[in-house]
Amino acid sequence: MSFKINLKVNGKEHVLEVPAHERLVDTLRYRLGLTSVKEGCGRGECGTCIVLVNGLPKHSCLTLTATLDGAEVLTLEGLAPEGKLHAIQLAYLETRGVQCGFCTPGFMMMTKALLDTHPEPQQEQVKEWLSSVLCRCGSYHYYFAAAKLAAKYIKEGKIYLDEKQVREKYHMKVIGR
Amino acid sequence: MSKPDYVQIVEEMFAKTKDKPTKDFTYLGKHVVRWDAISKIMGKPLFTADMINLFKNAVFVHSVRSKYAHAKIKKIDYSEALKYPGVLKVITARDIPGINDVGYVLPDQPLLADRKVRFIGDTVALIVAESLENARDAGELVNVDYEPLPVYTDVLQVIELNGLTEKEHVLIHDERGSDVLSRYKIRVGDVEKAFKEASVVVENEYRTPMQEHAYLEPEAAIAIPEPDGSVTIYAKTQCPFDTRRAVSNVLGLPFNMVRVVAPALGGGFGGAEDVGNEIAAKAALAALALKRTAVVLHTREESIIGHTKRHPMVAKYRHAASKDGTLLAVDADIVLDTGAYASLGPFVGWRAVVHSTGPYKVRNARVDLAVVYTNRIPAGAFRGFGNPQVTFAVERQMDLLAEELGMDPVEFRLKNILRNGDRTVHGQLLDHGVGLEDAIKRALEISGWSEKRKLYSTLKGPARRGIGIALMYHGNSIGAEGADFSTVSLIIQRDGSIIFRTGLTDMGQGSLQGLVNIAAEILGVPPSYFKIEPSDTAATPDAGPTVASRSTAMGGNATLVAAYKIRQRLNKLAAEMLGCASPEDVVIEAPKVYCKDQPEHHITWKELIEQTFWKGIPIQEFGYYRAPPAEWHEETGTGQPYFTYTFGAVVSDVEVDIETGLTKVVEATVVYDIGRVVNRTGAEHHGVGGYIQGMGYALMEDTVHSENGHVYSTSFSTYHIPTGLDIPERINVDFVEAGFIRGPFGAKGLGEPSIVAIAPSIVNAIAHAIGSKQANRLLNRIPATPDFVRGVLKRAGLAR
Repeated sequence: MSFKINLKVNGKEHVLEVPAHERLVDTLRYRLGLTSVKEGCGRGECGTCIVLVNGLPKHSCLTLTATLDGAEVLTLEGLAPEGKLHAIQLAYLETRGVQCGFCTPGFMMMTKALLDTHPEPQQEQVKEWLSSVLCRCGSYHYYFAAAKLAAKYIKEGKIYLDEKQVREKYHMKVIGR
Repeated sequence: MSKPDYVQIVEEMFAKTKDKPTKDFTYLGKHVVRWDAISKIMGKPLFTADMINLFKNAVFVHSVRSKYAHAKIKKIDYSEALKYPGVLKVITARDIPGINDVGYVLPDQPLLADRKVRFIGDTVALIVAESLENARDAGELVNVDYEPLPVYTDVLQVIELNGLTEKEHVLIHDERGSDVLSRYKIRVGDVEKAFKEASVVVENEYRTPMQEHAYLEPEAAIAIPEPDGSVTIYAKTQCPFDTRRAVSNVLGLPFNMVRVVAPALGGGFGGAEDVGNEIAAKAALAALALKRTAVVLHTREESIIGHTKRHPMVAKYRHAASKDGTLLAVDADIVLDTGAYASLGPFVGWRAVVHSTGPYKVRNARVDLAVVYTNRIPAGAFRGFGNPQVTFAVERQMDLLAEELGMDPVEFRLKNILRNGDRTVHGQLLDHGVGLEDAIKRALEISGWSEKRKLYSTLKGPARRGIGIALMYHGNSIGAEGADFSTVSLIIQRDGSIIFRTGLTDMGQGSLQGLVNIAAEILGVPPSYFKIEPSDTAATPDAGPTVASRSTAMGGNATLVAAYKIRQRLNKLAAEMLGCASPEDVVIEAPKVYCKDQPEHHITWKELIEQTFWKGIPIQEFGYYRAPPAEWHEETGTGQPYFTYTFGAVVSDVEVDIETGLTKVVEATVVYDIGRVVNRTGAEHHGVGGYIQGMGYALMEDTVHSENGHVYSTSFSTYHIPTGLDIPERINVDFVEAGFIRGPFGAKGLGEPSIVAIAPSIVNAIAHAIGSKQANRLLNRIPATPDFVRGVLKRAGLAR
């Protein structure tokens, strides 16, 4: 049995015919090619597949696409408009935490959800929200710092940055001390 | 015999720069933004499974796993499965064109079980279907007629700890005639005499768990049949050249007909070493059988039961010391559980025995170690490779000895540690920088050891604090395990940009950035001029495996050699073009190139490169480095097992709830002597990441098997790894740079060392927090879960 649904993903409208059992993670990854969404466990435990559905963080591996008629989904690909980077992305770059990068999209989407609801989060809130994503490389401290730095940038109004400028500024450059 | 040129080059660069502070380099030891960071924050890198989209009309391969952990296979009937919708083929051992084996060190591991199964993850058949769902469903219809055999899930069912004699049992590897995979020993000095003369003897038994790598990217492989009968495989593997060897073996094809590419890797930690061979071989078999692209994709459950783990250890250690705190002798029996197959077990056992007495001056030692098969998931390579196990035991023993002697654990250690000019237990002279003492001192200072040690000892009440220390050393690279070489190629393009190729992989730690930093430093160009090509057996040189903390030390040397040779040629040409007095005077600060004394008169990097083409000067270079030969005497356990060692000191500060047994690490300090910091960001990541992974090992992680060999902890809700809420407030990371003549600019490795001493430092801290002599002896097992710690408290009469 399949369902015909309307789904807005990263601002773009899609009309999809999906089988009843299709998971959102598969729709996003294999139907729409949004491979920033990762699957690490398939049971809502690792958090690498977290995306925002109507603004709230959801494990896309535990969400059936057929139930999302009329919903809006945001993945890392849609965090900033084409040619731009979001303050969250810049913050993750500047705090130097990115290692293998498999969990990073999940962390960034969780950070987005956190900052949308708590623009000036306390350390405990950052830890609590971001602890829903696992990182085996051990980048947690860096990511907590990134969330707070992103909050600062957003507060200062620096929400979207020019991707080309960021690349020119940071591509393999020495930063920090 | 004269030294090979690559040894001379590395030694010359060390001599020239050994007194230069790291801060004075341009890129070395700096926080360089890694080459893939911007694409990663955009979610762009393609991990293997992300590439499935790129292939149309792929088939999916599902592994039908065993129902028993130990059984004979009498018959496999897959006729029902073949009838299932979408199923195209069922592959069993009989369909393998080459050799049915994916064993890493020994040919003991069939890719597809034919005669018997030895653990619950053994694959008996592959279902190839149009969709993964159909393949999985059809898997249920494969009927295997098994004859169950007794299951052994504890090594002590197979071997006696005292004397390490094999017990009477039904052999798991009957074809070998014994389930003892390998044995190692150390025989140094007169142990008996030393124990007789000792004032203090400490004896205890230790157990360590089977740790799971838990990298977040589950295994995936995609195999594409090529028109000429060859096959291209994209797979999660940290050693593409080893994967190629294994796949060639299974397919019966020469190496040049199998191409393995390693896309972005979502973590490895050693676990992407042998499983890469297996998944790649499964995908390749299906691809060639059906002439269609074939995909293997593991779920988390399959990943956990399907890939190798850290070897669990059972050990008995006896240490002797004199009244003044001098370590006199070590006597130990150690058993490592390699599970159902050898994988890298023989090498892990060897590394464990080499490190079995810790970074101390030991003149008398008797150590016997056996690596033994059981019916658990096979154990293989995992960051630390045998060293975290023995270091846990040794560092616990050090604390017990200090307690017996009434000494501070640091004072006792300082009396016995290895320093420059000392010999290791194997008789190896450490004639170069040994930064262990400096590392200890710095760790004590940063952590506030003395004040905290005193203060915490006075605390009473349910929430206790404790601070503990542990030391480690770790042999660099693969030593006597195999051919220890590495390679890179640097190809400068006509526009001045540079292609960097190596068969080493980056599992996520960013090690290749360190190599680029080295090349950039030598050539005088910024790292942004480089493009790192993915590791690909068809394009990148065989650099040896990406294991054993060897990327920076070995790959770094190969990079240094390549860059040095190109730089020599460029200097000569630039001196001619600019009229410098000597090629030595040429300064490259790309885009500017000038003579030392005339900075205002310059040409550009691009002009210099263009000129090399006109003048016929090659600006491609293949860098090769072979480690000095290792030496190991089997009978005595002496020789030069590794060319150098990384040293470290770890201090953990914990809070223990006496009522629940729950331990929380509050703060941690790690200081490592890595010779020279090459890639500061990567080194800090290892310091922090190694600590967190080691904390999981110490406090929560174990792959639990039932008595009949089924695995209980197959998900992240049953196998716990540290989350953001479990980590300490702060992990202080610092480095000592004692230098090493045969490292690139003196650098040594840090990948594995970063986990080795974490667990004992935490358990030593727990013991300090509890403050009971009896409990101190009972804390002999990890993970120190709340129920275990509570049990210790009860047995020590400290809790009801």
